[in-house]
Amino acid sequence: MSEQVKQLVGYVQERCLWQFFSRSWDRQENIDGIMAAAEAMLSGAKPKRETPMEKLFYADALEMVKDFRERFPWVDALTPAEATTLIAGLKAEMIDLAITRSLNHELSHSLY
Amino acid sequence: MPMVLLKCDKDIPEREQHIYLKVDGEDSRDFLPVSNAQTIPGTLSERGCAFCGAKLVIGGVLKDTIQMIHGPIGCAYDTWHTKRYPTDNGHFNMKYVWSTDMKESHIVYGGEKRLESSINEAFDAMPDIKRMMVYTTCPTALIGDDIKAVTRRVMSERPDVDIFTVECPGFAGVSQSKGHHVLNIGWINEKVGKVEKEITSEYTMNFIGDFNIQGDTQLLQEYWDKLGIQVIAHFTGNGAYDDLRSMHQAQLNVVNCARSSGYIANELKKQYGIPRLDVDSWGFNYMAEGIRKICAFFGIEERGEALIAEEYAKWKPKLDWYKERLQGTRMAIWTGGPRLWHWTKSVEDDLGVQVVAMSSKFGHQEDFEKVIARGQSGTYYIDDGNELEFFEIIDLVKPDVIFTGPRVGELVKKLHIPYVNGHGYHNGPYMGFEGFVNLARDMYNAINNPLLKLAATDIRSDEKVNAEEVAA
Repeated sequence: MSEQVKQLVGYVQERCLWQFFSRSWDRQENIDGIMAAAEAMLSGAKPKRETPMEKLFYADALEMVKDFRERFPWVDALTPAEATTLIAGLKAEMIDLAITRSLNHELSHSLY
Repeated sequence: MPMVLLKCDKDIPEREQHIYLKVDGEDSRDFLPVSNAQTIPGTLSERGCAFCGAKLVIGGVLKDTIQMIHGPIGCAYDTWHTKRYPTDNGHFNMKYVWSTDMKESHIVYGGEKRLESSINEAFDAMPDIKRMMVYTTCPTALIGDDIKAVTRRVMSERPDVDIFTVECPGFAGVSQSKGHHVLNIGWINEKVGKVEKEITSEYTMNFIGDFNIQGDTQLLQEYWDKLGIQVIAHFTGNGAYDDLRSMHQAQLNVVNCARSSGYIANELKKQYGIPRLDVDSWGFNYMAEGIRKICAFFGIEERGEALIAEEYAKWKPKLDWYKERLQGTRMAIWTGGPRLWHWTKSVEDDLGVQVVAMSSKFGHQEDFEKVIARGQSGTYYIDDGNELEFFEIIDLVKPDVIFTGPRVGELVKKLHIPYVNGHGYHNGPYMGFEGFVNLARDMYNAINNPLLKLAATDIRSDEKVNAEEVAA
Protein backbone atom coordinates (compact mmCIF):
# COMPACT_ATOMS: atom_id res chain seq x y z
CA MET A 1 0.00 0.00 0.00
CA SER A 2 1.44 3.36 -1.00
CA GLU A 3 1.86 6.06 1.60
CA GLN A 4 -0.79 8.12 -0.16
CA VAL A 5 -3.34 5.31 -0.11
CA LYS A 6 -2.47 4.68 3.53
CA GLN A 7 -3.31 8.26 4.41
CA LEU A 8 -6.68 8.05 2.66
CA VAL A 9 -7.48 4.71 4.30
CA GLY A 10 -6.72 6.25 7.68
CA TYR A 11 -9.16 9.05 6.95
CA VAL A 12 -11.94 6.74 5.71
CA GLN A 13 -11.51 4.37 8.64
CA GLU A 14 -11.87 7.16 11.14
CA ARG A 15 -14.55 9.15 9.42
CA CYS A 16 -16.90 7.26 7.12
CA LEU A 17 -19.87 5.29 8.43
CA TRP A 18 -20.81 3.91 5.00
CA GLN A 19 -18.01 1.36 5.19
CA PHE A 20 -19.68 -0.24 8.21
CA PHE A 21 -23.15 -0.98 6.88
CA SER A 22 -24.88 -4.13 8.11
CA ARG A 23 -24.15 -6.66 5.41
CA SER A 24 -21.28 -7.35 3.02
CA TRP A 25 -23.38 -6.51 -0.05
CA ASP A 26 -24.31 -3.13 1.42
CA ARG A 27 -20.66 -2.38 2.12
CA GLN A 28 -19.66 -3.46 -1.38
CA GLU A 29 -22.38 -1.33 -2.94
CA ASN A 30 -21.31 1.73 -0.93
CA ILE A 31 -17.61 1.27 -1.67
CA ASP A 32 -18.28 0.80 -5.39
CA GLY A 33 -20.61 3.78 -5.67
CA ILE A 34 -18.68 6.23 -3.52
CA MET A 35 -15.32 5.38 -5.04
CA ALA A 36 -16.73 5.83 -8.55
CA ALA A 37 -18.09 9.25 -7.61
CA ALA A 38 -14.84 10.21 -5.89
CA GLU A 39 -12.79 9.14 -8.89
CA ALA A 40 -14.95 11.30 -11.14
CA MET A 41 -14.56 14.28 -8.83
CA LEU A 42 -10.79 13.92 -8.58
CA SER A 43 -10.46 13.42 -12.33
CA GLY A 44 -12.45 16.50 -13.23
CA ALA A 45 -15.36 14.47 -14.60
CA LYS A 46 -18.98 14.98 -13.64
CA PRO A 47 -20.24 12.34 -11.18
CA LYS A 48 -23.56 10.68 -11.92
CA ARG A 49 -26.41 12.23 -9.99
CA GLU A 50 -29.62 10.90 -11.50
CA THR A 51 -30.92 7.97 -9.45
CA PRO A 52 -31.51 8.09 -5.68
CA MET A 53 -28.50 5.86 -5.05
CA GLU A 54 -26.28 7.99 -7.29
CA LYS A 55 -27.34 11.06 -5.36
CA LEU A 56 -26.46 9.28 -2.13
CA PHE A 57 -23.02 8.26 -3.37
CA TYR A 58 -22.45 11.78 -4.66
CA ALA A 59 -23.26 13.25 -1.25
CA ASP A 60 -20.92 10.89 0.59
CA ALA A 61 -18.13 11.26 -1.95
CA LEU A 62 -18.40 15.05 -2.01
CA GLU A 63 -17.61 15.35 1.70
CA MET A 64 -14.87 12.75 1.50
CA VAL A 65 -13.10 14.40 -1.43
CA LYS A 66 -13.42 17.83 0.14
CA ASP A 67 -11.72 16.49 3.27
CA PHE A 68 -9.06 14.76 1.16
CA ARG A 69 -8.21 18.10 -0.43
CA GLU A 70 -8.11 19.88 2.95
CA ARG A 71 -6.07 17.28 4.79
CA PHE A 72 -3.78 16.07 2.04
CA PRO A 73 -2.64 18.98 -0.17
CA TRP A 74 -0.93 16.58 -2.59
CA VAL A 75 -4.38 15.49 -3.79
CA ASP A 76 -4.77 18.69 -5.81
CA ALA A 77 -1.66 17.90 -7.81
CA LEU A 78 -2.92 14.52 -9.05
CA THR A 79 -3.41 13.93 -12.75
CA PRO A 80 -6.63 12.14 -13.77
CA ALA A 81 -4.66 8.94 -14.33
CA GLU A 82 -3.03 9.22 -10.90
CA ALA A 83 -6.41 9.87 -9.33
CA THR A 84 -7.79 6.71 -10.93
CA THR A 85 -4.87 4.65 -9.63
CA LEU A 86 -5.16 6.19 -6.19
CA ILE A 87 -8.87 5.52 -5.88
CA ALA A 88 -8.39 1.97 -7.16
CA GLY A 89 -5.85 1.44 -4.38
CA LEU A 90 -8.17 2.94 -1.78
CA LYS A 91 -11.07 0.84 -3.00
CA ALA A 92 -9.06 -2.37 -2.80
CA GLU A 93 -7.99 -1.56 0.75
CA MET A 94 -11.52 -0.72 1.84
CA ILE A 95 -12.88 -3.98 0.43
CA ASP A 96 -10.12 -5.84 2.22
CA LEU A 97 -10.70 -4.10 5.55
CA ALA A 98 -14.48 -3.80 5.58
CA ILE A 99 -15.44 -7.04 3.87
CA THR A 100 -12.75 -9.62 3.18
CA ARG A 101 -10.91 -9.41 6.49
CA SER A 102 -13.77 -8.21 8.64
CA LEU A 103 -14.33 -10.42 11.68
CA ASN A 104 -17.95 -9.31 11.89
CA HIS A 105 -19.98 -12.51 11.91
CA GLU A 106 -23.19 -10.78 10.88
CA LEU A 107 -21.95 -9.60 7.49
CA SER A 108 -23.22 -12.61 5.58
CA HIS A 109 -26.61 -13.09 7.22
CA SER A 110 -29.21 -13.32 4.49
CA LEU A 111 -31.75 -11.26 6.44
CA TYR A 112 -31.48 -7.88 8.11
CA MET B 1 -2.17 -8.75 24.05
CA PRO B 2 -5.03 -6.68 22.55
CA MET B 3 -7.67 -8.96 24.06
CA VAL B 4 -7.49 -8.44 27.81
CA LEU B 5 -8.27 -10.75 30.72
CA LEU B 6 -8.79 -8.49 33.71
CA LYS B 7 -7.77 -9.69 37.17
CA CYS B 8 -11.38 -9.68 38.35
CA ASP B 9 -12.27 -12.07 35.52
CA LYS B 10 -9.83 -14.82 36.45
CA ASP B 11 -12.72 -17.17 37.22
CA ILE B 12 -14.62 -16.33 34.04
CA PRO B 13 -11.79 -16.34 31.48
CA GLU B 14 -14.31 -16.22 28.62
CA ARG B 15 -14.55 -12.50 29.33
CA GLU B 16 -11.18 -12.03 27.66
CA GLN B 17 -12.91 -12.27 24.29
CA HIS B 18 -15.09 -9.26 25.20
CA ILE B 19 -12.43 -6.72 26.18
CA TYR B 20 -10.09 -5.14 23.67
CA LEU B 21 -7.18 -2.78 24.25
CA LYS B 22 -6.19 -0.87 21.15
CA VAL B 23 -2.41 -0.90 20.83
CA ASP B 24 -0.17 1.02 18.45
CA GLY B 25 1.47 -1.24 15.94
CA GLU B 26 -1.21 -3.93 16.09
CA ASP B 27 -3.58 -4.31 13.15
CA SER B 28 -6.93 -3.62 14.78
CA ARG B 29 -8.65 -5.74 12.13
CA ASP B 30 -7.07 -8.84 13.62
CA PHE B 31 -9.22 -8.45 16.73
CA LEU B 32 -12.91 -7.81 17.32
CA PRO B 33 -14.60 -8.29 20.68
CA VAL B 34 -17.32 -10.91 20.88
CA SER B 35 -20.60 -9.02 21.23
CA ASN B 36 -24.36 -9.47 21.00
CA ALA B 37 -23.66 -12.80 22.66
CA GLN B 38 -25.20 -14.39 25.72
CA THR B 39 -23.98 -12.92 28.98
CA ILE B 40 -21.46 -15.25 30.58
CA PRO B 41 -22.68 -16.89 33.82
CA GLY B 42 -20.79 -15.32 36.69
CA THR B 43 -20.80 -11.82 35.30
CA LEU B 44 -23.21 -9.22 36.68
CA SER B 45 -24.46 -7.69 33.47
CA GLU B 46 -25.80 -4.16 33.16
CA ARG B 47 -27.95 -5.12 30.21
CA GLY B 48 -31.67 -4.65 29.81
CA CYS B 49 -34.10 -7.14 28.34
CA ALA B 50 -35.53 -7.52 24.86
CA PHE B 51 -38.91 -6.09 25.91
CA CYS B 52 -37.04 -3.02 27.14
CA GLY B 53 -35.45 -2.56 23.72
CA ALA B 54 -38.82 -2.59 21.99
CA LYS B 55 -41.01 -0.64 24.38
CA LEU B 56 -38.72 1.63 26.33
CA VAL B 57 -36.36 2.57 23.52
CA ILE B 58 -38.57 2.77 20.43
CA GLY B 59 -42.32 2.29 20.87
CA GLY B 60 -42.79 4.23 24.09
CA VAL B 61 -41.44 7.37 22.48
CA LEU B 62 -44.49 7.86 20.24
CA LYS B 63 -46.63 10.81 21.17
CA ASP B 64 -50.07 9.56 20.18
CA THR B 65 -50.05 5.87 21.01
CA ILE B 66 -51.24 3.84 23.98
CA GLN B 67 -48.48 1.44 25.03
CA MET B 68 -50.28 -1.60 26.46
CA ILE B 69 -47.94 -3.89 28.36
CA HIS B 70 -49.43 -7.36 28.63
CA GLY B 71 -47.75 -8.61 31.76
CA PRO B 72 -47.28 -8.09 35.50
CA ILE B 73 -47.27 -4.52 36.71
CA GLY B 74 -43.52 -4.60 37.32
CA CYS B 75 -42.83 -4.68 33.59
CA ALA B 76 -44.43 -1.23 33.37
CA TYR B 77 -42.06 0.36 35.87
CA ASP B 78 -40.00 2.60 33.60
CA THR B 79 -42.10 5.59 32.58
CA TRP B 80 -41.84 9.31 33.14
CA HIS B 81 -39.27 9.16 35.89
CA THR B 82 -36.65 7.18 34.03
CA LYS B 83 -37.34 8.01 30.41
CA ARG B 84 -36.75 11.45 28.96
CA TYR B 85 -38.40 11.61 25.58
CA PRO B 86 -40.76 14.58 25.66
CA THR B 87 -43.25 15.39 22.91
CA ASP B 88 -44.79 18.52 21.47
CA ASN B 89 -48.31 17.52 22.54
CA GLY B 90 -47.85 17.73 26.28
CA HIS B 91 -45.83 14.57 26.81
CA PHE B 92 -48.75 12.15 26.54
CA ASN B 93 -46.35 9.23 26.38
CA MET B 94 -44.77 10.07 29.72
CA LYS B 95 -47.93 10.95 31.62
CA TYR B 96 -49.60 7.57 31.44
CA VAL B 97 -48.70 3.93 31.75
CA TRP B 98 -50.87 1.02 30.69
CA SER B 99 -50.59 -2.55 31.91
CA THR B 100 -52.84 -5.59 32.00
CA ASP B 101 -51.52 -6.17 35.53
CA MET B 102 -51.41 -9.95 35.20
CA LYS B 103 -51.88 -11.90 38.42
CA GLU B 104 -51.43 -15.56 39.26
CA SER B 105 -54.97 -16.55 38.25
CA HIS B 106 -54.51 -14.96 34.80
CA ILE B 107 -51.30 -16.88 34.34
CA VAL B 108 -53.05 -20.12 35.30
CA TYR B 109 -56.22 -19.60 33.24
CA GLY B 110 -54.85 -17.42 30.42
CA GLY B 111 -54.70 -13.66 29.95
CA GLU B 112 -56.38 -13.06 26.60
CA LYS B 113 -59.72 -11.95 28.05
CA ARG B 114 -57.93 -9.64 30.43
CA LEU B 115 -55.92 -8.19 27.55
CA GLU B 116 -59.03 -7.61 25.48
CA SER B 117 -60.83 -5.87 28.30
CA SER B 118 -57.73 -3.78 29.07
CA ILE B 119 -57.45 -2.65 25.46
CA ASN B 120 -61.10 -1.65 25.35
CA GLU B 121 -60.86 0.03 28.73
CA ALA B 122 -57.89 2.08 27.61
CA PHE B 123 -59.55 3.20 24.37
CA ASP B 124 -62.76 4.02 26.26
CA ALA B 125 -60.86 6.04 28.84
CA MET B 126 -58.98 7.96 26.15
CA PRO B 127 -61.45 8.45 23.33
CA ASP B 128 -59.15 10.82 21.43
CA ILE B 129 -56.43 8.19 21.12
CA LYS B 130 -56.92 5.68 18.30
CA ARG B 131 -53.55 4.00 18.09
CA MET B 132 -51.98 1.37 20.32
CA MET B 133 -48.97 -0.87 20.61
CA VAL B 134 -49.39 -4.09 22.59
CA TYR B 135 -46.33 -5.81 24.02
CA THR B 136 -46.10 -9.34 25.22
CA THR B 137 -43.82 -9.96 28.21
CA CYS B 138 -42.08 -13.03 29.64
CA PRO B 139 -45.05 -14.58 31.48
CA THR B 140 -47.66 -13.89 28.79
CA ALA B 141 -45.35 -15.28 26.12
CA LEU B 142 -44.69 -18.39 28.18
CA ILE B 143 -48.39 -19.14 28.65
CA GLY B 144 -48.96 -18.64 24.95
CA ASP B 145 -51.45 -15.78 24.94
CA ASP B 146 -52.27 -15.01 21.30
CA ILE B 147 -52.11 -11.23 21.39
CA LYS B 148 -52.42 -10.90 17.62
CA ALA B 149 -55.76 -12.71 17.67
CA VAL B 150 -56.96 -10.44 20.46
CA THR B 151 -55.92 -7.24 18.68
CA ARG B 152 -57.51 -8.43 15.41
CA ARG B 153 -60.75 -8.98 17.27
CA VAL B 154 -60.62 -5.53 18.86
CA MET B 155 -59.83 -3.86 15.52
CA SER B 156 -62.76 -5.63 13.87
CA GLU B 157 -65.06 -4.30 16.60
CA ARG B 158 -63.47 -0.84 16.60
CA PRO B 159 -62.78 0.06 12.98
CA ASP B 160 -61.38 3.50 13.87
CA VAL B 161 -58.45 2.09 15.85
CA ASP B 162 -55.19 0.55 14.71
CA ILE B 163 -53.05 -1.70 16.89
CA PHE B 164 -49.50 -2.97 16.44
CA THR B 165 -48.37 -6.02 18.34
CA VAL B 166 -44.81 -6.54 19.51
CA GLU B 167 -44.15 -10.14 20.45
CA CYS B 168 -40.82 -9.73 22.13
CA PRO B 169 -40.69 -11.08 25.68
CA GLY B 170 -37.71 -10.15 27.81
CA PHE B 171 -36.07 -13.53 27.44
CA ALA B 172 -36.20 -13.41 23.63
CA GLY B 173 -32.64 -12.26 23.09
CA VAL B 174 -29.34 -11.60 24.81
CA SER B 175 -30.08 -7.93 25.43
CA GLN B 176 -32.41 -5.07 24.54
CA SER B 177 -30.99 -5.24 21.02
CA LYS B 178 -33.38 -8.07 20.17
CA GLY B 179 -36.31 -5.82 21.00
CA HIS B 180 -35.07 -3.15 18.59
CA HIS B 181 -34.85 -5.79 15.90
CA VAL B 182 -38.29 -7.30 16.47
CA LEU B 183 -40.04 -3.94 16.51
CA ASN B 184 -38.20 -2.70 13.38
CA ILE B 185 -38.96 -5.75 11.29
CA GLY B 186 -42.52 -6.07 12.56
CA TRP B 187 -43.27 -2.46 11.75
CA ILE B 188 -41.88 -2.49 8.20
CA ASN B 189 -43.69 -5.71 7.37
CA GLU B 190 -47.05 -4.91 8.94
CA LYS B 191 -47.50 -1.15 9.00
CA VAL B 192 -45.35 0.75 6.49
CA GLY B 193 -47.15 1.52 3.25
CA LYS B 194 -50.56 1.69 4.86
CA VAL B 195 -51.02 5.47 5.06
CA GLU B 196 -50.37 8.17 2.46
CA LYS B 197 -49.32 11.45 3.99
CA GLU B 198 -49.71 14.87 2.36
CA ILE B 199 -46.43 15.85 0.73
CA THR B 200 -45.63 19.51 1.30
CA SER B 201 -42.06 19.78 0.01
CA GLU B 202 -40.12 18.54 -2.99
CA TYR B 203 -37.54 17.28 -0.49
CA THR B 204 -38.65 14.51 1.84
CA MET B 205 -36.82 12.25 4.26
CA ASN B 206 -37.28 10.02 7.27
CA PHE B 207 -35.11 10.74 10.27
CA ILE B 208 -34.39 7.35 11.79
CA GLY B 209 -32.92 6.46 15.16
CA ASP B 210 -33.25 9.43 17.41
CA PHE B 211 -35.68 9.41 20.29
CA ASN B 212 -36.08 13.06 21.20
CA ILE B 213 -34.03 12.63 24.33
CA GLN B 214 -34.64 15.90 26.16
CA GLY B 215 -35.65 17.50 22.88
CA ASP B 216 -33.02 16.22 20.41
CA THR B 217 -35.58 15.66 17.68
CA GLN B 218 -37.26 18.99 18.17
CA LEU B 219 -33.92 20.81 18.01
CA LEU B 220 -32.93 19.08 14.77
CA GLN B 221 -36.41 19.68 13.35
CA GLU B 222 -35.60 23.40 13.39
CA TYR B 223 -32.77 22.65 10.96
CA TRP B 224 -34.95 20.60 8.61
CA ASP B 225 -37.60 23.33 8.66
CA LYS B 226 -35.03 25.97 7.75
CA LEU B 227 -33.74 23.78 4.94
CA GLY B 228 -37.24 23.23 3.60
CA ILE B 229 -37.07 19.46 4.01
CA GLN B 230 -40.25 17.64 5.01
CA VAL B 231 -39.64 14.89 7.53
CA ILE B 232 -42.18 12.22 6.68
CA ALA B 233 -41.54 10.28 9.87
CA HIS B 234 -39.31 10.45 12.88
CA PHE B 235 -38.39 6.95 13.98
CA THR B 236 -39.42 7.61 16.68
CA GLY B 237 -38.56 10.87 18.48
CA ASN B 238 -41.67 13.01 18.93
CA GLY B 239 -43.12 10.64 16.34
CA ALA B 240 -46.69 9.87 15.38
CA TYR B 241 -47.99 6.37 14.67
CA ASP B 242 -49.52 7.17 11.29
CA ASP B 243 -46.43 9.11 10.13
CA LEU B 244 -44.49 5.91 10.63
CA ARG B 245 -46.97 4.09 8.38
CA SER B 246 -45.99 6.60 5.65
CA MET B 247 -42.25 5.99 5.75
CA HIS B 248 -42.33 4.56 2.23
CA GLN B 249 -43.02 8.06 0.86
CA ALA B 250 -39.61 9.51 1.77
CA GLN B 251 -36.85 10.08 -0.76
CA LEU B 252 -34.07 9.54 1.76
CA ASN B 253 -33.56 7.75 5.05
CA VAL B 254 -31.21 9.61 7.37
CA VAL B 255 -30.01 7.28 10.11
CA ASN B 256 -28.56 8.41 13.40
CA CYS B 257 -28.81 5.33 15.65
CA ALA B 258 -27.85 2.53 13.30
CA ARG B 259 -27.99 -0.02 16.10
CA SER B 260 -31.58 0.40 17.23
CA SER B 261 -32.98 1.39 13.86
CA GLY B 262 -30.66 0.31 11.08
CA TYR B 263 -32.94 -2.63 10.37
CA ILE B 264 -35.84 -0.54 9.18
CA ALA B 265 -33.54 1.66 7.08
CA ASN B 266 -32.13 -1.46 5.43
CA GLU B 267 -35.61 -2.80 4.74
CA LEU B 268 -36.85 0.53 3.40
CA LYS B 269 -33.97 0.43 0.94
CA LYS B 270 -34.61 -3.20 0.05
CA GLN B 271 -38.39 -2.99 -0.23
CA TYR B 272 -38.88 0.59 -1.46
CA GLY B 273 -35.50 1.60 -2.91
CA ILE B 274 -35.02 4.48 -0.48
CA PRO B 275 -31.30 5.19 0.07
CA ARG B 276 -29.83 5.03 3.56
CA LEU B 277 -27.53 7.83 4.69
CA ASP B 278 -25.85 7.35 8.07
CA VAL B 279 -24.90 10.49 9.97
CA ASP B 280 -23.62 11.54 13.39
CA SER B 281 -25.89 14.10 15.05
CA TRP B 282 -23.67 14.78 18.06
CA GLY B 283 -20.78 17.22 17.62
CA PHE B 284 -20.21 20.37 15.56
CA ASN B 285 -18.03 18.87 12.89
CA TYR B 286 -20.21 15.79 12.49
CA MET B 287 -23.50 17.71 12.49
CA ALA B 288 -22.20 20.06 9.82
CA GLU B 289 -21.06 17.10 7.76
CA GLY B 290 -24.46 15.45 8.08
CA ILE B 291 -26.27 18.61 7.00
CA ARG B 292 -23.93 19.00 4.04
CA LYS B 293 -24.55 15.42 2.91
CA ILE B 294 -28.31 15.73 3.19
CA CYS B 295 -28.26 18.99 1.26
CA ALA B 296 -25.94 17.54 -1.39
CA PHE B 297 -28.37 14.66 -1.86
CA PHE B 298 -31.20 17.10 -2.53
CA GLY B 299 -29.08 19.62 -4.45
CA ILE B 300 -29.65 22.43 -1.94
CA GLU B 301 -26.07 22.86 -0.81
CA GLU B 302 -26.29 26.64 -0.44
CA ARG B 303 -29.10 26.34 2.09
CA GLY B 304 -27.00 23.97 4.13
CA GLU B 305 -24.00 26.29 4.14
CA ALA B 306 -26.17 29.20 5.27
CA LEU B 307 -27.60 27.15 8.13
CA ILE B 308 -24.19 25.91 9.25
CA ALA B 309 -22.75 29.44 9.15
CA GLU B 310 -25.65 30.73 11.23
CA GLU B 311 -25.32 27.96 13.81
CA TYR B 312 -21.54 28.24 14.03
CA ALA B 313 -21.77 31.99 14.57
CA LYS B 314 -24.24 31.43 17.37
CA TRP B 315 -22.76 28.45 19.17
CA LYS B 316 -19.08 27.98 18.27
CA PRO B 317 -17.77 30.68 20.65
CA LYS B 318 -19.61 28.97 23.49
CA LEU B 319 -18.19 25.58 22.50
CA ASP B 320 -14.69 27.03 22.35
CA TRP B 321 -15.05 28.44 25.87
CA TYR B 322 -15.63 24.91 27.13
CA LYS B 323 -12.99 23.41 24.85
CA GLU B 324 -10.35 25.63 26.38
CA ARG B 325 -11.29 24.34 29.82
CA LEU B 326 -11.94 20.69 28.98
CA GLN B 327 -8.75 20.14 26.99
CA GLY B 328 -7.09 16.89 28.05
CA THR B 329 -10.04 15.64 30.10
CA ARG B 330 -10.11 11.85 30.32
CA MET B 331 -13.56 10.51 29.61
CA ALA B 332 -15.15 7.07 29.79
CA ILE B 333 -18.30 6.24 27.83
CA TRP B 334 -20.31 3.32 29.18
CA THR B 335 -23.61 3.38 27.36
CA GLY B 336 -25.63 1.17 25.03
CA GLY B 337 -23.48 0.92 21.93
CA PRO B 338 -23.75 3.62 19.25
CA ARG B 339 -22.85 6.56 21.47
CA LEU B 340 -19.38 5.08 21.78
CA TRP B 341 -18.66 5.60 18.10
CA HIS B 342 -20.79 8.73 17.78
CA TRP B 343 -18.99 10.49 20.62
CA THR B 344 -15.36 9.32 20.76
CA LYS B 345 -14.12 11.50 17.88
CA SER B 346 -16.58 14.32 18.36
CA VAL B 347 -15.48 15.00 21.93
CA GLU B 348 -11.87 14.65 20.84
CA ASP B 349 -12.13 16.97 17.84
CA ASP B 350 -14.61 19.49 19.20
CA LEU B 351 -13.61 19.55 22.88
CA GLY B 352 -10.09 18.17 23.13
CA VAL B 353 -11.35 15.36 25.37
CA GLN B 354 -9.61 11.97 25.39
CA VAL B 355 -11.84 8.90 25.60
CA VAL B 356 -9.93 6.29 27.59
CA ALA B 357 -12.48 3.50 28.06
CA MET B 358 -15.73 2.55 26.40
CA SER B 359 -18.23 -0.14 27.26
CA SER B 360 -21.28 -1.21 25.29
CA LYS B 361 -24.28 -3.02 26.72
CA PHE B 362 -25.88 -4.20 23.52
CA GLY B 363 -23.64 -3.21 20.62
CA HIS B 364 -22.97 -5.74 17.88
CA GLN B 365 -19.65 -6.37 16.16
CA GLU B 366 -20.56 -3.70 13.62
CA ASP B 367 -20.54 -1.18 16.47
CA PHE B 368 -17.14 -2.37 17.65
CA GLU B 369 -15.76 -2.11 14.12
CA LYS B 370 -16.88 1.51 14.09
CA VAL B 371 -15.65 2.49 17.51
CA ILE B 372 -12.28 0.76 17.23
CA ALA B 373 -11.73 2.48 13.87
CA ARG B 374 -12.54 5.85 15.40
CA GLY B 375 -11.17 5.48 18.91
CA GLN B 376 -7.69 6.04 20.25
CA SER B 377 -4.85 3.66 21.03
CA GLY B 378 -4.49 2.91 24.73
CA THR B 379 -8.27 2.87 25.09
CA TYR B 380 -10.26 -0.11 26.38
CA TYR B 381 -13.27 -1.31 24.37
CA ILE B 382 -15.59 -3.52 26.42
CA ASP B 383 -18.65 -5.57 25.54
CA ASP B 384 -21.28 -6.15 28.25
CA GLY B 385 -19.07 -4.87 31.05
CA ASN B 386 -19.78 -5.83 34.66
CA GLU B 387 -19.30 -3.90 37.85
CA LEU B 388 -16.02 -5.48 38.93
CA GLU B 389 -14.62 -4.79 35.49
CA PHE B 390 -15.69 -1.17 35.79
CA PHE B 391 -13.82 -0.87 39.09
CA GLU B 392 -10.68 -2.34 37.56
CA ILE B 393 -10.89 -0.27 34.40
CA ILE B 394 -11.31 2.88 36.47
CA ASP B 395 -8.07 2.03 38.28
CA LEU B 396 -6.33 1.41 34.98
CA VAL B 397 -7.40 4.51 33.05
CA LYS B 398 -8.36 6.96 35.83
CA PRO B 399 -11.12 8.85 34.03
CA ASP B 400 -12.00 12.42 34.99
CA VAL B 401 -15.63 11.95 33.99
CA ILE B 402 -17.85 9.02 33.04
CA PHE B 403 -20.85 9.21 30.73
CA THR B 404 -23.13 6.31 31.57
CA GLY B 405 -26.63 5.40 32.68
CA PRO B 406 -28.18 5.70 36.11
CA ARG B 407 -27.35 2.09 37.09
CA VAL B 408 -23.61 2.40 36.64
CA GLY B 409 -23.89 6.06 37.53
CA GLU B 410 -24.76 5.17 41.12
CA LEU B 411 -21.61 3.06 41.33
CA VAL B 412 -19.55 5.85 39.85
CA LYS B 413 -20.96 8.43 42.24
CA LYS B 414 -19.93 6.31 45.21
CA LEU B 415 -16.38 6.44 43.90
CA HIS B 416 -16.68 10.25 43.76
CA ILE B 417 -15.99 10.31 40.08
CA PRO B 418 -18.01 12.86 38.10
CA TYR B 419 -20.84 11.20 36.24
CA VAL B 420 -23.06 12.52 33.44
CA ASN B 421 -26.15 10.65 32.30
CA GLY B 422 -25.09 9.40 28.91
CA HIS B 423 -28.50 7.92 28.15
CA GLY B 424 -31.14 10.43 29.21
CA TYR B 425 -28.65 13.35 29.58
CA HIS B 426 -28.30 15.71 32.53
CA ASN B 427 -29.53 18.87 30.81
CA GLY B 428 -30.06 18.17 27.14
CA PRO B 429 -30.66 18.15 24.29
CA TYR B 430 -27.15 17.10 23.30
CA MET B 431 -27.63 16.70 19.55
CA GLY B 432 -26.94 19.45 17.05
CA PHE B 433 -24.80 22.54 17.58
CA GLU B 434 -26.65 23.90 20.60
CA GLY B 435 -26.89 20.41 22.02
CA PHE B 436 -23.17 19.79 21.94
CA VAL B 437 -22.62 23.00 23.90
CA ASN B 438 -25.06 21.57 26.46
CA LEU B 439 -23.03 18.37 26.61
CA ALA B 440 -19.82 20.35 27.08
CA ARG B 441 -21.45 22.42 29.83
CA ASP B 442 -22.66 19.33 31.67
CA MET B 443 -19.22 17.77 31.42
CA TYR B 444 -17.57 20.94 32.68
CA ASN B 445 -20.04 21.30 35.53
CA ALA B 446 -19.65 17.66 36.52
CA ILE B 447 -15.87 17.84 36.65
CA ASN B 448 -15.83 21.09 38.59
CA ASN B 449 -18.65 20.28 40.96
CA PRO B 450 -17.31 20.87 44.51
CA LEU B 451 -19.86 18.45 45.97
CA LEU B 452 -17.78 15.48 44.85
CA LYS B 453 -14.85 16.51 47.01
CA LEU B 454 -17.16 17.27 49.91
CA ALA B 455 -18.82 13.87 49.55
CA ALA B 456 -15.43 12.20 49.78
CA THR B 457 -14.61 13.88 53.06
CA ASP B 458 -14.98 11.89 56.25
CA ILE B 459 -17.04 14.09 58.55
CA ARG B 460 -17.07 11.71 61.50
CA SER B 461 -14.17 13.46 63.21
CA ASP B 462 -14.82 16.04 65.88
CA GLU B 463 -13.11 18.75 63.92
CA LYS B 464 -15.45 21.00 62.04
CA VAL B 465 -15.05 20.61 58.29
CA ASN B 466 -14.54 23.80 56.38
CA ALA B 467 -16.57 23.14 53.27
CA GLU B 468 -14.93 25.86 51.24
CA GLU B 469 -11.45 24.53 51.97
CA VAL B 470 -12.42 21.00 51.05
CA ALA B 471 -14.03 22.09 47.82
CA ALA B 472 -11.15 24.38 46.85
